[in-house]
Amino acid sequence: MFSNYFKIALRNLQKNKAFSAINILGLALGMACSLIIMLWVQDEVAMDSFHENGPRLYRVMENQFYSGKIETYASTPGILAENIVKDIPEIEKASQMLWEEEPLFTVGNNFDKEKGRYVQGDFLNMFSFKLDKGDARTALKRPDGVVISKKLADKYFPNQDALGKTIRIDSKDDMMVTGILAEIPKNSSLKFDFLMSYDRWHKTNGWAKEWGNNGPRCYVMLVKGASLEKVNAKIKKYIKTKNKDSNVELFLQSYQESYLYSNWDSGRQNGGRIDYVRIFAIVAIIILAIACINFMNLATARSVKRAKEVGVRKVIGAMKSVLIGQFIGEAILITFMSLVIALLIVFLLLPTFNMLTEKELSLNFTEGSFWLFLVVLTLLTGFVAGSYPALFMSSLNPVVVLKGALKFKPSATYFRKGLVVFQFALSIILIVGMIIVHRQINFLQTKNIGFDRENLLYMPLEGDLQKNFASFKQALQNQPGIKLVTSSQANPLEVGSSTQGVSWPGKDTTQLLLFANNSISYDYIQTMGIQLIEGRDFGPQFGTDTTNYIINEATARKMGYKDPVGKEMTMWGRKGTIVGLMKDFHHNTLHVPIEPLILRLQPKDDYWGVVVIRTEAGKIPTAIASTEKIFKQFNPHFPFKYFFADQELAKQYKSENVVSNLSNYFAFLAIFISCLGLFGLAAFTAEQRTKEIGVRKVLGASVGNLVQMLSLDFLKLVLIATLIAFPIAWYFLKDWLQKYAYRIDLEWWYFLIAAVSALVIALVTVSFQAIKAALMNPVKSLKSE
Amino acid sequence: MIKTTNLQKIFTTEEVETTALNGIDLEVKDGEFVAIMGPSGCGKSTLLNILGLLDNPSDGSYDFHGTEVAKLSERQRAQLRKGNIGFVFQSFNLIDELTVYENVELPLLYLKVPANERKEMVETVLTRMNIMHRRNHFPQQLSGGQQQRTAIARAVVAKPKLILADEPTGNLDSANGEEVMKLLSQLNDEGTSIIMVTHSPYDAGFAHRIVNLFDGKVVTEKMRV
Repeated sequence: MFSNYFKIALRNLQKNKAFSAINILGLALGMACSLIIMLWVQDEVAMDSFHENGPRLYRVMENQFYSGKIETYASTPGILAENIVKDIPEIEKASQMLWEEEPLFTVGNNFDKEKGRYVQGDFLNMFSFKLDKGDARTALKRPDGVVISKKLADKYFPNQDALGKTIRIDSKDDMMVTGILAEIPKNSSLKFDFLMSYDRWHKTNGWAKEWGNNGPRCYVMLVKGASLEKVNAKIKKYIKTKNKDSNVELFLQSYQESYLYSNWDSGRQNGGRIDYVRIFAIVAIIILAIACINFMNLATARSVKRAKEVGVRKVIGAMKSVLIGQFIGEAILITFMSLVIALLIVFLLLPTFNMLTEKELSLNFTEGSFWLFLVVLTLLTGFVAGSYPALFMSSLNPVVVLKGALKFKPSATYFRKGLVVFQFALSIILIVGMIIVHRQINFLQTKNIGFDRENLLYMPLEGDLQKNFASFKQALQNQPGIKLVTSSQANPLEVGSSTQGVSWPGKDTTQLLLFANNSISYDYIQTMGIQLIEGRDFGPQFGTDTTNYIINEATARKMGYKDPVGKEMTMWGRKGTIVGLMKDFHHNTLHVPIEPLILRLQPKDDYWGVVVIRTEAGKIPTAIASTEKIFKQFNPHFPFKYFFADQELAKQYKSENVVSNLSNYFAFLAIFISCLGLFGLAAFTAEQRTKEIGVRKVLGASVGNLVQMLSLDFLKLVLIATLIAFPIAWYFLKDWLQKYAYRIDLEWWYFLIAAVSALVIALVTVSFQAIKAALMNPVKSLKSE
Repeated sequence: MIKTTNLQKIFTTEEVETTALNGIDLEVKDGEFVAIMGPSGCGKSTLLNILGLLDNPSDGSYDFHGTEVAKLSERQRAQLRKGNIGFVFQSFNLIDELTVYENVELPLLYLKVPANERKEMVETVLTRMNIMHRRNHFPQQLSGGQQQRTAIARAVVAKPKLILADEPTGNLDSANGEEVMKLLSQLNDEGTSIIMVTHSPYDAGFAHRIVNLFDGKVVTEKMRV
């Protein structure tokens, strides 16, 4: 019996090649899309899951309370780890970890900057980063120890055993290689080429020894069986036991979860990457649903051709249940064929997708769970797609169909029309989404951010430049292509440092306020192209500028100054005068509103951070060549590295860009598959109305009349779909835009474009079939009845 | 074998009620060959569908092999139909995607006859119908006579007690029609009961008894002499 079903299924596929191709292709595209998304979701969810102590690893988080809001940070005091592990018995191990640093590595004549982390002794005993050589238990315990990747070992010690060798760091300290790292697992959110002693960094960063200053991250490992609630209760007020002025609260977040759940709002977890995981999972289901509906419509449309077979089988004695089994089996067979094509599509698309998402996803045929997923996907898709056609066809009355008089009940027609409406509504939602995501990203990247991002470069201020910055600046400014040079402690595009240590006469001392701050050198305002509303920039001609401040409008508002220039203020105990008021500009990404910002002059001979260079328009290559020449003179032992401000700004919206690109593909796919279904339904309707069309033609209807008649019905469906899609799209996109402090308005014409494009695409699809039907010879169509 | 009493069939649409059968009393004995005749629309095909358990009567009783079947569900009717009744249609109704062999094999598949037995039964009946040489052809590749012989082979392969034929020669030329009628007669001679709807007095001449229908009623019954 099975072979009979198999044969008839294959022969039917062969006989209606176009239909079969549309059907299989539609399903294959839908399945390919959901497969790719599944691979991505699986990869995201498995991030950081390889640590053997995973369930016991936590990141210490800090809630800070300001007037009217709670801010949640992963940065904590730099002495938290060493203390908390002593004071809280449930904490077995703890390690500080710094942000990614890029110190200079020198071995003989070989030097370069390398990316890595400063951590504490127990780091390798907490996290499962394996060593190929060296002892993980002790490698980081000595303050002059450094653990490097195999890549660095090969780079600095080719054909030698790197273990025990010496590397000079930042032209100052000699460190000994105490371990060679095994390859870091792909699913580690933490990537580094070296690990070095945090205590070495700590020595030169005294500020990080204060309980009132935050910066480094702190990771802890609980003892086995410890209760998270109990530990959280114990550490909540921990900082206050060390610093009675503090009002912050600590809590633990699971390390494995911290990758996906990184956003906090008013002290509560508020998603993060998990939002994208959810959105994409939903998109995968939507596209698969569209593909299934497509299949249903095409299969039902073709049922006219299979009606006789159903009739004969029934007359011979086939039960309804047996026929349902046959047709669902056929659907699963077709789904299986689609799966093979889908795997091929995925295989071809993965490199592009990986590039887009910066992943290394692959079809993992060696894993049982992958096979299981394929089987479940095939069975489920086949079952869902095949269920309606199977029920429909198995219910055909043999007496009627064998007479060749198959007519559809209105209920069946409504159901199928409903499917098309559903399909198109989903597609239109995706199209609106695509347009709006695209507009928002475009807005973020082109919005006037308050300074001139073009022709602006920056580079690390390090090595000998720190001592000789003034003469470096002098030399550089005389070079062709260079307009202005300045320096900034913080990255000017992302000022991360903020403080509560600001006061001014009349300040309400019960209020806790946070001010972003940055130390800069002369010409900063002009180099950046920031607009000065009032007052002046710092300048060497004003001798006392080291205690003066320049503030932005947001600061003035916070302070309640209408006319701030000339007013007094104090930061970190240094009383001074506000000498300039800047128009608000974005000193962080557009995800966050413009915060109050205070600029102060970098103390002389303490230059660090970045060199900021304004080049002449159109002379960037000349400017880079000049800069490199001067840089090599002043800083011969450091590699020359520079960044374009506009490019770095664009990178801040990388994940949005990925979403924008993906939403383009998904929306296109959705509308394409929907059209395949519509095409099938149009063909089916034309066939059903063959006789009517014949009669109308005999009575004098023109081809135009008939095409209009046949197309209008479908356009109505698309219009209904539009009406359903709009409020849903509006709701979800409004929600998505809320994430951005700066966002586009939901204009009506975004929706109009989506609706019109769906209509046009649908019209083209349908009229193809309508014209074909209308051009048919009426003699033939009437005789066939 | 078959006995109907006061069989009624009324078709209702939203506005019209059509009485297709109006009190049919009919008895067909084992081994009988009955022809049903009458003008178009007199209810012949409706009667045949009910006798063939494809449809239920609106009223009346229908005794099939000692079982009252007038009110059976579709599922029960399908169960009873299987293996007990063979159908032959005017338009053959072969499945286009299956070969001659596969078409004939189909009823045996639904009866779950084991493979080796099935092969023997199909080959026997194909040989008997003289289409063994065409066993691997598809219906479109056959002449009308060959198609109808295939249909008859399919109807009899499971050795049913009753064959229902709805104008079996209607789409055939006279030579092929003659051949089909001879085949049916032979089957009848071997003990299979046959009920045949026909317009052709010549074909009706092969039957033992002719039942004339008019407006859903039996008007005359005559035995062949």
